[in-house]
Amino acid sequence: MQSNVFKVKPRLLVLLLLPASLVYGFIILTPLIFSLRYSFFKWSGGKNMDFIFLDNYKRLLIDEDFWHAFGNNIKLVVLIIIFQIGISFILAVMITPRRTLFQAFHRFSIFLPVVVAPVVVSILWKLIYNTDVGILNTVLRSIGLESLIRPWLSDPDYVIYSVSVVIIWQFIGLYLVIFMAGLQGIPDEIYEVAYLDGASAYHRLTKITIPLMLDTIVVAVMLSIAGNMKVFDHIFVMTGGGPGKSSSVIAMEAYGNAFNKFQYGYSAAMSIGILILSLSLVFLSRLPLAIANKRNREGQM
Amino acid sequence: MKILLRKISRVFRNIFLLVISITSIYPLLWTFMNAFKSRKQFSVDNMGLPNELVFSNFTRAIESSEMDVYFINSIISTILTVIIVIIAGFITGYVLSRYVFKAKKIVYSVFMLGMLIPIHGLMIPLFIQLKALGMLNNLASLAITYSAFSLPTAIFLVESFVKTIPPEMEEAAYIDGANIMGTMFRIIFPMTKPVLSTVVVLTFLNAWNEFPFALILINNKALKTIPIGMANFSGEFSVEYTQLLAGSVIAILPVLLVYAFFNRQIVSGMITGALKG
Repeated sequence: MQSNVFKVKPRLLVLLLLPASLVYGFIILTPLIFSLRYSFFKWSGGKNMDFIFLDNYKRLLIDEDFWHAFGNNIKLVVLIIIFQIGISFILAVMITPRRTLFQAFHRFSIFLPVVVAPVVVSILWKLIYNTDVGILNTVLRSIGLESLIRPWLSDPDYVIYSVSVVIIWQFIGLYLVIFMAGLQGIPDEIYEVAYLDGASAYHRLTKITIPLMLDTIVVAVMLSIAGNMKVFDHIFVMTGGGPGKSSSVIAMEAYGNAFNKFQYGYSAAMSIGILILSLSLVFLSRLPLAIANKRNREGQM
Repeated sequence: MKILLRKISRVFRNIFLLVISITSIYPLLWTFMNAFKSRKQFSVDNMGLPNELVFSNFTRAIESSEMDVYFINSIISTILTVIIVIIAGFITGYVLSRYVFKAKKIVYSVFMLGMLIPIHGLMIPLFIQLKALGMLNNLASLAITYSAFSLPTAIFLVESFVKTIPPEMEEAAYIDGANIMGTMFRIIFPMTKPVLSTVVVLTFLNAWNEFPFALILINNKALKTIPIGMANFSGEFSVEYTQLLAGSVIAILPVLLVYAFFNRQIVSGMITGALKG
């Protein structure tokens, strides 16, 4: 019975799958394939295309600006994994217990910045960091910490940290709700038994919560890596990659090469490089979990 | 003693959480407060409440920075995106969850790959392709682009939701003589409303807030969307802060309204999307 109902003529099937496949293929798959082709050419958008095979890639490997930008991506990833995931995990552990007051309010307000456009968030923070009208310096002055005041977004030594604070602030809510969902999945009985056995709060956290949340934490780390490899909006609006190139990231580099220098062939190669780097990092972050799972399975045998 | 300690720690925990919550919403409150201040008041006091409500910041943001044009463009591209994603996402999700055919697994994985592909790597390739086809400066191109980014999550959400509907639904419909399209749209479509509302809200947010692709695919001023308009606005040399803040309020108001009414769908949709990706 069921097999008859859900069998469909191939022609109709193709027709049904067509709209999504066309959109998806046209925007995601064909550009990927074509950029692989362009990456082998020296091309500035006009009629002249010189086949130079791997020269663009060789140039990419020694492109200091690109690797400096990639270093900034990595810096952001590390800072953000430590602080964003760390803070949101602690917050989730604090908010999830039923006796916490205003649980819904906390979740609502901490998640709020996640839905606001990164461009608008960046504009606001540019004002917050502003040396003349910024509230950050006003606050510092009012609590007597004038010595800490600095040009937050125009000091090459601090700019990447200033930017990372904004990204951390904006997306803590995303990780918070992911962790809260994970924590709610842990049965209360486990904690009750541990409590009766005399386990301290610290032990309950390190021996129950963290091990049971490991999968969720790995997912959060992956998400964070993927999200931070594509950072663009915040940097573009707050610093434009500056001062100099001190806060540039890989997406900014690809953009600059295409739109300021019109090096399409090289930008295509850079795009492929970005795809490879981002995907490898995401897979790399999956590795610990895969190994842990394998070990568990072997342990059970 | 132990109970007292626990009580104290609970008080501290609650105070700490309140501080964090306030830090999260304060910058937005600050924006709203200062968007209504006169330029003069803003320059001397940007922390307090406005002395009087000044609406001219908004009229000036609309007149001199053309926020109204950007707003309409954002609405057009966002609505187009939502329509494409709902129709294509629903059909594809339904077909992939119900029908039996050979290439099903492959088709499904190709779509799910979209959640993994770092889309910023597509910026330049897509620009080159759309330029060659003369499709730059076109809100429809923008909508198709956003649709492609939102489709994988939409397909995933619909596919997993349809799985929870008993197949007897369709079997009964066929016995009553309904055809495939009739069953799909008249019987199943209404049943998937909860998941479709999540898809609508997530797609709306992505399209409304998107920046880099709008930046490279649109350079005609009359077609720019709000994020591009705001970024240009803030990059001007002599920025009028109160006007900029009024512009920001216009830009985020629709998002805040949607968030206020649909925050459950947004949160649950983002969690599922994240855990899948």
